[in-house]
Amino acid sequence: MLELRKDIFADERDDNLNEIGKGTQRQDMLGHVTGASTYFDDHKLQGMLHLKVLRSPHAHARLRRIDTTEAERAPGVRRIIRGADVPVNLNTLLSLINFGKDDEPSLAVDKVRYKGEPIVAIVADSPREAFEALAKVRVDYEPLPAVFDVEEALKPGAPVVNETYPKNTFVYHDLYDHQKLRFGDVERGFAEADHVLEQRYQMSPIEHAPTETNGSIAAPDTNGRYVVYTSTQALFFSLDTCAKILDVPSNTFHFIGGTVGGGFGGKVDTLTEPLAILGAMLTGRPVRYQLGREEEMQFGSPRGAERIYIKDGVMRDGRIVARKIRAYFDSGAYTRLSSYAVVKCAAHLPGPYTIPNVYGDIYCVFTNRTPATAMRGFGVTAMDFALECQMDKLAHLVGIDPMEFRILNAYRDGDMKAHRREAKNTALIECVQVAAEKAKWPLREDVKRMSSRTDGGGSRATISPTPREPAPQRAAASQQRTTYDRAPPVATQPPPSPTPPPPRPSTPAPSHGATRFSSVFGTRRR
Amino acid sequence: MPVTVKTFGSTGEAASALSSDRSARYLGGGTLVMRALNEGDISISTVVRATDQALSRIDVTSSRITIGAGVTFAKILAERELAFLHAPARSIGGPAVRNMGTVGGNLFAPNPYGDFTVALLALDATVSVQGGLGARDLPIEEFLQSRERQSGALVLAVSCQRPATADAFRYRKIARIKPKGGSVITLAAHLPVSSGRISGARIALGSMAAMQIRARAAERALEGRALDDAAINAAAAVAAEGVSPTDNALGSAWYRREIVGVHLRRLLSGLE
Ligand SMILES: Cc1cc2nc3c(=O)[nH]c(=O)nc-3n(C[C@H](O)[C@H](O)[C@H](O)COP(=O)(O)OP(=O)(O)OC[C@H]3O[C@@H](n4cnc5c(N)ncnc54)[C@H](O)[C@@H]3O)c2cc1C
Repeated sequence: MLELRKDIFADERDDNLNEIGKGTQRQDMLGHVTGASTYFDDHKLQGMLHLKVLRSPHAHARLRRIDTTEAERAPGVRRIIRGADVPVNLNTLLSLINFGKDDEPSLAVDKVRYKGEPIVAIVADSPREAFEALAKVRVDYEPLPAVFDVEEALKPGAPVVNETYPKNTFVYHDLYDHQKLRFGDVERGFAEADHVLEQRYQMSPIEHAPTETNGSIAAPDTNGRYVVYTSTQALFFSLDTCAKILDVPSNTFHFIGGTVGGGFGGKVDTLTEPLAILGAMLTGRPVRYQLGREEEMQFGSPRGAERIYIKDGVMRDGRIVARKIRAYFDSGAYTRLSSYAVVKCAAHLPGPYTIPNVYGDIYCVFTNRTPATAMRGFGVTAMDFALECQMDKLAHLVGIDPMEFRILNAYRDGDMKAHRREAKNTALIECVQVAAEKAKWPLREDVKRMSSRTDGGGSRATISPTPREPAPQRAAASQQRTTYDRAPPVATQPPPSPTPPPPRPSTPAPSHGATRFSSVFGTRRR
Repeated sequence: MPVTVKTFGSTGEAASALSSDRSARYLGGGTLVMRALNEGDISISTVVRATDQALSRIDVTSSRITIGAGVTFAKILAERELAFLHAPARSIGGPAVRNMGTVGGNLFAPNPYGDFTVALLALDATVSVQGGLGARDLPIEEFLQSRERQSGALVLAVSCQRPATADAFRYRKIARIKPKGGSVITLAAHLPVSSGRISGARIALGSMAAMQIRARAAERALEGRALDDAAINAAAAVAAEGVSPTDNALGSAWYRREIVGVHLRRLLSGLE
């Protein structure tokens, strides 16, 4: 049940708004629950043809030769489409807003970079005939070494996944191979800290698994226009992307969307529309292109897998004084939306906490895996997961209740964020208090009385100087270093001499495969 | 070539249609066959169905029970006399799959599926098969070993002895997603007891080899002994003998070997 806490921040809210703060039924809900909603696939057009795609069985291979002669003669085949038939056969979604270079072909030409990459499309009278013709296409592959691990992909000599980005990293502002955040002097913070805790977090890619797989139907309309019924969740992105790939003015298309049979980010990529329209252009007939479930998982993007290293310096009284984060987003073979996820991630560091020294390096890395994309809070969700696991571990380390530990470190109004913006309307403390109350989690009286509106600003609003070069790290004599998952375990006794400098981003710790969520137990999966 | 659907009234006709056409596939509940067709499996061009009522019959009149190949898991769950098979039936898929999926189809379901078959293997079931030339009964082990060659044959029914006591038959499926999902390991044990000692123990494992297999070393460790801690430990210690699991998305071969003994111990000691 919806409960609005109107007593909190009553002075900051306007209760005369028509929608905000009120429960309103979604306009499409009734159609969904009564089965009356119309999806793209509910359109059965006369003379409709079916498009199916030949996909790469290799994660990385050169295409030596593609022979479609036998497939062309197969029964029911109306048209075979190859990379050369696509007017502008290189695209990336966010190039529409000048963010990133075009790096993904609609149909592979020189090589394939992930298992499931489309190579040849066949338009036939029935899906079955299209499948049978696909089996007759002969492709001569030269398998190439592939890389599946983000840190392996950054090592010198790693296979180049995507020639648009020869170093296997997305390039920001035509210059930088990662996104940076620098605030204060993180090494000095570690040197002053009573405890230092470094952890590694590894996420899995997650399939959105929409009930309706990605698909579209394109049909010739009057006056040289095309009508497109589609499951996209980004109608105008999709329309503009098609105009670009097919090299026609965008008013050539009439896109009809609206009902997305489950999106969650997985229907933002414009996967099926360009080839469906091209099929309609080349045959003069309506063309339907819908992904099967397996195609949806191989070609439709998952949530990207992130690897996150967090190193925190914390005082005995629970204040976090330094936080250093190194994260790698696995973009798969092409950019799609991972580059943007990295920007969002950098904007989210160091979480909703006031920390005087913050240092972040976030990389968007190309590997020979299915390209990743948007999914519900991408760039933030995984980072939050890691940060909050870390918060629990830190609370445990200093012996403070985890809820209180969060309240202690939470942003207060007037604090300075690591992005050099003043924190306003922060409200985290109140959220944690309400959550604790709901969960019947006991909080100390003085913690219950804390507020995000008091005790902020002052020294917490200062921007401490940020060194250009990292200062050599000195460990305080009484410092205790705690390591959960890095071998060898470090003794809880103070180290005799200065500890070695932290690992540099360019020489990450060697690691293969993935560590499951809990890095506490050091269980590694290959 | 479009897909042809052929429906026959008698199992004999269906069996000869199957055995005479390599691209023909029998349609049970279709949970696997229809998926294959939708995903573009062009090796199937004929779908054979049989409407013979005998295929969906359950016979529980004697101590021996017979289940038609076309019986769904939902139907097994609705049959009180088959309570000992409810755990394996319930462990399969979600309600949609249990409503359609059949006992016959489960005999052909590849890893990580085929859970019901694990139970049947532990129960030493007999599989009635109709080939082009006539019907015959096969012990389930023999059936599974020749499964690849059975593709032209029609399974009519499976039958087995009802376990003497509720405790004599045990089943456990380890999955990552509950209640549905492919199996990491499936275990079933039939442990008949006579004068306090196990006699004729059968333990079957799923997802521990290309096919459902018996844990013969564990069976030997139990044979002639009381089901006490010592016997259970001895069986658990040798549970992985003779297995050849593979890696898949649900678990690695290494993991499966590591945990099979743990789960066998829990199964035998009646722990949840
Ligand atoms: C979402 C999902 C979840 C699933 N979960 C599970 C699970 O948890 N555990 C599990 O064991 N399985 C699971 N399965 C697999 C499958 O549904 C079951 O194994 C089911 O028993 C298959 O039966 P069916 O009648 O649907 O087979 P069908 O798809 O009709 O047939 C499968 C194969 O068996 C052959 N066949 C079927 N009946 C006969 C017969 N009478 N004679 C000869 N050949 C025959 C078919 O020709 C085909 O080759 C799942 C499937 C899906 C789609």
